[in-house]
Amino acid sequence: MNILEVEQLTVNYEKTSVLWDINFVIPEGKIVGILGPNGAGKSTLLKALLGLVKPLNGTISFFGKPLSKVRKKIGYVPQRSSVDWDFPITAFDLVMMGRYGKLGLLKWASKEDREATRQALCQVEMLPFADRQIGQLSGGQQQRLFIARALVQDADVYLLDEPFAGIDMATEKTLVGLFETLRKKGKTLLIVHHNLASTENYFDWLILLNTCLIAAGPVSDVFNQQNIWRTYGRSSILLDEAAIKAKNKTSGLL
Amino acid sequence: MTPLLDFFSDPILRPSTLGCMLMCFASALVGVVVFLRKRSLIGETLSHASFPGVVIGVFVSALLMPFSDELISLAILCGAFLFAFLGLKTLSFLENKARVKADSALCFVLASFFGLGILIASRLQQTYPLWYKQALSFLYGQAATMTNMHILLYGCFSLVILGFILYFYRYLEAVNFDPSFSETLGIQSKRLDEIMFFLIVLAIVIGIRSVGVVLMAGMLIGPAVTARPLTNRLSYHFALAGAFGVASGFLGNYLSVVIPNEDYSLPTGPMILMVSSLFCFLSLLLAPRSGLITRFLRMRQFSFRCSLENALKSLWKGERKVFSPLILWKLKQHKWIDPQGTLTPLGKATAENIIRLHRLWEVYLVDYMGQKVEKVHRTAEELEHLLSPELEKELTELLHNPRHDPHHQPIPPANLEAP
Repeated sequence: MNILEVEQLTVNYEKTSVLWDINFVIPEGKIVGILGPNGAGKSTLLKALLGLVKPLNGTISFFGKPLSKVRKKIGYVPQRSSVDWDFPITAFDLVMMGRYGKLGLLKWASKEDREATRQALCQVEMLPFADRQIGQLSGGQQQRLFIARALVQDADVYLLDEPFAGIDMATEKTLVGLFETLRKKGKTLLIVHHNLASTENYFDWLILLNTCLIAAGPVSDVFNQQNIWRTYGRSSILLDEAAIKAKNKTSGLL
Repeated sequence: MTPLLDFFSDPILRPSTLGCMLMCFASALVGVVVFLRKRSLIGETLSHASFPGVVIGVFVSALLMPFSDELISLAILCGAFLFAFLGLKTLSFLENKARVKADSALCFVLASFFGLGILIASRLQQTYPLWYKQALSFLYGQAATMTNMHILLYGCFSLVILGFILYFYRYLEAVNFDPSFSETLGIQSKRLDEIMFFLIVLAIVIGIRSVGVVLMAGMLIGPAVTARPLTNRLSYHFALAGAFGVASGFLGNYLSVVIPNEDYSLPTGPMILMVSSLFCFLSLLLAPRSGLITRFLRMRQFSFRCSLENALKSLWKGERKVFSPLILWKLKQHKWIDPQGTLTPLGKATAENIIRLHRLWEVYLVDYMGQKVEKVHRTAEELEHLLSPELEKELTELLHNPRHDPHHQPIPPANLEAP
């Protein structure tokens, strides 16, 4: 069964580049890498899948249903730099946030919620830091908290935006192990990534993206010199220029 | 001197006391959100933007129903709210649609709205001097003329704000920390934000009566800034800010009644602000973790410990040095030397432990970090005071418990009894 189907997805997103006519399917239980150069629309793709960015056109379905029906089955790890780490909450509170979707208004966190939070902290080896203010932690530790927060969501599909950016080796190793465990449980992970060297070891499915979809499929089929060149090479310059022109035109600047 | 309790029972003092406290409480609570969103200047802009509403409110109600004080204050509130809200909408239009940078948009809205208010007021100055004066009293606030109706009104508003924050606490935490993640949880962060900003406008409009258009922003932000260094939890941040708000509302009001005599008077609004700023100042100086004075004391403490440990080392090496009485006294306190000034066994063990840390670190720097032998002494001199027993254990294992440092000096063996 396909966990995710994307058809003719087009996103017009101010400031970042555009996504044009993206089509792909993802089968269950894969660790999927989303690769592409800066500004290729990797994060935009995730945001469109999550409904944070409104696509201009196209359909997205998880488990054959629209997003609004299956929201609780989808976990999200945003980029670490997207939040203010001086915010007055502890590591424990941050992870607990993953439960808020299932928690009703005015309901205190139940014993179950606390236990789940503690377990997730344990899984990412952050239990000793539960009471620390989040700004006092290192980049790797902060990333672990974000992962733990997604874990307590108890989702079936996880979308992760650059989880390996700016973290230490030990954290990277922990995360890779954790992702593997999740996959064995039948979960699907979509991971935005930009390090080509580790691609073959980390993923079993790839989406190569540069505004257009370059290729999507099993790593062994897709990860070759020609596709990489098409993704990262200079061939897309014309496309970028056209995108900027289109953007200016439609917003009335030109 | 007026007794403290009179401020809550005396029919003249009570309304302004309670009014100020309620108003400061409400603005302190919403102030936390404004502060955490790094939109502190929005209070300044919106309070100024409400001024034309105040002026229009005064004149319209004065023309239509000149003898009802209560209706006039209600009209002023409505006018102020309308214009503050208009200011907010203009602000979001400028930022989102016209792509004006946030600080420019804030300045623009503040200046243009406030200017408009002054203009209307001046136009009507000749015709209705009395109402003109009342409109101007909103610039710096006028707490003393509050009545029981104001308390009721402010009390209700404060309850609404408090209720909202309690009811949506979890959502507010999530949305203000990480809006896009909250959105993926199904929380309608945009809707929540809209309500929150509506309440912020409300709090500002309530507040300008007692502290005035010009100083309102301070009341919004002051308590939030005061509370931030004292806690790392959002719930405590709200609670502490609320408490500081109430306290400055009361004290400001109290002092402005108690201090003045026949020769001069002190306005309530600025007094509240002064008290709030004093709290803020003290918190920034004395906060347990990040306060300037606490940090200074901690730095002094550490440098004293370094001198103490260095003195101990010199004694261990048998160097003849003169130590300050304070150092000698402290060495005796620790029982590192006996009254005659010779090292005790405990002092010897402690000194050896420090030497050990110093030399272990030197080995580490040379063997693992590839540093030059002659350059490692200075860093080790600092780190010998810092390395924890856990780090020492790790170093020992990593370096296979070396016997000699890079300068061929012996490393004292690990002493389990040493502190």
